[in-house]
Amino acid sequence: MNAFLARNRLVVLAYAGMVVLLLVTALFSPGFLSVSNMRSTVVLAAFVGIVALGQTFVIIGGGIDLSVPWVLNSAAIVMALLCGGQDLPLVWVMPLLLAGGAFIGLINGVGVAQFGVPPIIMTLATNVILQGLILVLTGGSPTPSAPALIQFLSVGRIGAFPVIALIWLALTLVATLLLSKAAFGRHLYALGTSATVAEFSGVPTARTTILTYVISGLTAAFAGMLLTGYSGQAYLGMGDAYLFTSIAAVAIGGASILGGSGHYLGTVAGAMVLTILTGLLPALNLSSGALLIVYGAVILLTVSIGSETFAGLGGKMRGKEG
Amino acid sequence: MDLVTVKGLSKRYGGIVALSEATFSARAGEVHALLGENGAGKSTFIQILSGAVRHDGGSILVDGQDYRPANPDAAQARGIAAVFQELSLIPDLSVEQNIWFRHEPRTLLRTVNRAEMRRKTLALLDKYNFPALRPDQELRRLTLAERQIVEIAKGLAKDPRILILDEATSSLPAREAEWLLKLTRQLAAEGRLVIFISHRMAEVRAIADRLTIFRNGSTIAVHEANAVSDNEIVTQMIGRHLDRLYPERIATATDRIALRVKGLSSDSRLSGVDFALREGEVLGVGGLQGHGQRELFQALFGASKASGTIELWGKPVSIANPRQALTGEDGIALVPEDRRGQGLLLTKSVRENLTLSVIKRFTENGLLSRQKEAALVKEMVDFLRIKAGTPEQLAGTLSGGNQQKVIFGKMLLTQARVLLLYDPTRGVDVGTKGEIFQLMRDLAARGYAILFHSSDMPELVHVADRVLVMRNGHVAATLEGDRISEAGILRAAMLENEAA
Repeated sequence: MNAFLARNRLVVLAYAGMVVLLLVTALFSPGFLSVSNMRSTVVLAAFVGIVALGQTFVIIGGGIDLSVPWVLNSAAIVMALLCGGQDLPLVWVMPLLLAGGAFIGLINGVGVAQFGVPPIIMTLATNVILQGLILVLTGGSPTPSAPALIQFLSVGRIGAFPVIALIWLALTLVATLLLSKAAFGRHLYALGTSATVAEFSGVPTARTTILTYVISGLTAAFAGMLLTGYSGQAYLGMGDAYLFTSIAAVAIGGASILGGSGHYLGTVAGAMVLTILTGLLPALNLSSGALLIVYGAVILLTVSIGSETFAGLGGKMRGKEG
Repeated sequence: MDLVTVKGLSKRYGGIVALSEATFSARAGEVHALLGENGAGKSTFIQILSGAVRHDGGSILVDGQDYRPANPDAAQARGIAAVFQELSLIPDLSVEQNIWFRHEPRTLLRTVNRAEMRRKTLALLDKYNFPALRPDQELRRLTLAERQIVEIAKGLAKDPRILILDEATSSLPAREAEWLLKLTRQLAAEGRLVIFISHRMAEVRAIADRLTIFRNGSTIAVHEANAVSDNEIVTQMIGRHLDRLYPERIATATDRIALRVKGLSSDSRLSGVDFALREGEVLGVGGLQGHGQRELFQALFGASKASGTIELWGKPVSIANPRQALTGEDGIALVPEDRRGQGLLLTKSVRENLTLSVIKRFTENGLLSRQKEAALVKEMVDFLRIKAGTPEQLAGTLSGGNQQKVIFGKMLLTQARVLLLYDPTRGVDVGTKGEIFQLMRDLAARGYAILFHSSDMPELVHVADRVLVMRNGHVAATLEGDRISEAGILRAAMLENEAA
């Protein structure tokens, strides 16, 4: 565990930042640390965290997934349409849409790994295509309201715990096992550090790359369905905010945006930081415009701290040679 | 008067002392060799001289005046240029654009004066008799050796009074290396000081007037080159007596064919390679650079496409990618040419690097067993005597020789018993070189079959059981026994009608 902390200093830093931010927010808004408020903060953070789970895998592998917003949005809208407000269809609609999200990820991954399309272009294209498909499908008309079961998953509680927080916890566990305890994780970090070295070491680079995008498609689609439950219905544009926040959570969580480092545990802190910020600014009487400005500044700050750390490391390595 | 005088030079990186009270002095018009093992402080020293790194303590005088460059530009302004092992060239630019990068001749409108740039390039290449380089060639199309030559041209373009060559010959084939040695003497004759770093003793002997030996960050000795023996030098470099560099060549080859290659051809340079490598054999691959050696190794490892038949331990195989090559007991492993670009994850630990190829072996029910991994890592670190603080040390912070050992370890952990070694001693210090040769013989004795390419011809002559000489993409000759010599290899590499 010590080794983990030593090599993931940035992840630790993300948690430190989260705690500081919590205390600062509590200072300006005394009710902030109340149980009910913390609960709603965690619920909001969970949506970011779930979308950012797939994004974390993609970014560690050296890619980026810009198709997240409309994978999320498509899943939300198609679910609402297929269920028509009923619970029962969810039995087949949920697996179907998860498979759909995975399929979009597969297309992204194959495009990147087999055909050499740059990740930015590949995922941007699938994002726009999905947006077009949904507009054609709905003609812009509103969808039926979300099934009750989905509402339970996103805003319901089991005892004192929000259901979605428990889901998030379970997903965090799975992601951590994959990154820290599975061969896949080793392959992924190697791939993101140097695709050539990974290839020369016998790492199944194409399969690993594809899998990251599949995971990202899965989590985005899943988050889309849950988010429908949270807002009561699906609407066009509901995924847009998650493009930035999913990437920002990964970056704040200490991953190098160039791949090869970071951990989902850091992303969890990143999602919390972003959500707490949205709570802090109204307390300071700042507008949502100001929120965006702060978001941007926080990203710049954390990424520059990260790259400085990496640059320092690089300098050291050059220095120690011979 | 000395052109450069260094006194008490010190540099630390965190807790690591790279230089401690190092001294150095050299005159204009001499070739001054700087010797030492990897990690002795040579690189730090020249990085300070060239302005890439600033020193913590001590003084440097150039022409009797204090010298403390803030950056490489400032160093160049004082007439000091360096050619590093790690190239600083831009792949998308042409040869001449690279040579004059940031110092392009300008027109009155401050645009680049292409005609003038071409003229100056040709004049420079001509003056120093550069091997064939086309000024307009895109850099990414050049081989590593050609890039190294461009790097040298770039250094000379600054017309430096002091030129530092850091292992500039290590990636050059024999003929170009010889040219560089001549060039070095020419530069000294022009009144320049050349500070020359090389791990090849023969080169140092051939051109150096004096030599300074570093060990553990300090200056151990300064010698007139003709007044000291190789043995003394090596002993001073490594701080102990090294019996000899090359291990005894005991024939351990059996009759069993480990690797048979027939008619291997590719779009790039391979045309009908045939040979057989036996169990327990070290088979050298020589020839002039660019005659298909690199392509042969890559094709055998599945890193590039080729047609023809490959048999491993009697079974025909098709190897589409390195993963297939490394799989199973009849696999084939490669220690690649580019240690940092192909071999090692520099920002990952020794442990992660060692087990990367075989990580699946440590999983139970899909979960990694750290204990199992740690045990095998420890075994390999001990076996290869990898000098790392702990297995968690980042591979990029190891010395070149130890980095190479980690790559060997990674490949030995796979069950492949056919090893492809592409220039495994490049940029490796003399002590580790000896260990690598010994390791090769030990592995051969244990039944490994080794295909071994070296850009340093004496290594082929002294280590290999047989030597394949490649010319124009095929095996032009196979040398055995007494016929293995530098002259024999060169003759076969260059003459058309040498009998195979």
